[in-house]
Amino acid sequence: MDLFQRFALGEIDAFETLVRQFQGDVYAWIVRIVRDPGIAEDLTVETLWRTYRARHQFRPDGNFAAWARRIATNVALDHLRRKRPEQPLLTEPVEPDSPDHLLQQETREKIQQAFRRLPPKLRVAAMLALVEERPYAEIANALGTSVGAVKLRVFRAIRILRKHLNHLGVRR
Amino acid sequence: MTEHDDHQIREALQQSFPPVNTELHRDLWPAVLRKLDARTTRVPWYDWALIGLSTSVFLFFPQLILVFAYHL
Repeated sequence: MDLFQRFALGEIDAFETLVRQFQGDVYAWIVRIVRDPGIAEDLTVETLWRTYRARHQFRPDGNFAAWARRIATNVALDHLRRKRPEQPLLTEPVEPDSPDHLLQQETREKIQQAFRRLPPKLRVAAMLALVEERPYAEIANALGTSVGAVKLRVFRAIRILRKHLNHLGVRR
Repeated sequence: MTEHDDHQIREALQQSFPPVNTELHRDLWPAVLRKLDARTTRVPWYDWALIGLSTSVFLFFPQLILVFAYHL
């Protein structure tokens, strides 16, 4: 019996092997979406726990990484829905030494603010497609939807973002 | 909306969200195992309902405690 079959049957040793093998991939995917290492670790644990709970739905001949990524995307989406939009996202530290830096920092904050106001489904699609530049097919697979639907979400995100930015006084 | 506009938005977002370190620095298996244990040892809701029901019955009909103790 192979590893995936043993996992599907609930063998804890098989699950441990899979966790050690795939935890890095799951974490990398989640941190790209939530952009906070601490939260991403917690959500990775939640994702791996959910995979074990849903092990009966996993087909041993299927792709475990893709299946775990889809669960990870749902966990990240749940987190974004729960999180208050006012919560700041992590950014690189900027030395407030020149007016240019201050201006750039202000613009960055406004863009982040506008981005946080997007509906979570659009945020995830836009973050992965525009910021992380992941292939549309990969995003579609993780979101459990079609490439066309992802493109539409990104298009809508850009349109809403542009409206928010205009409202905030940032011309793009 | 033109392709040029999209490119501008993409660039603005990339500047606002600098790259994140995607490398995991610790093994999460112990945390997963803890969560697994915590969830499996959790008392299900129907057990709590049974406890609540028994307590109420004993509170209103204390003589049943003797009947219950006799049958133990």
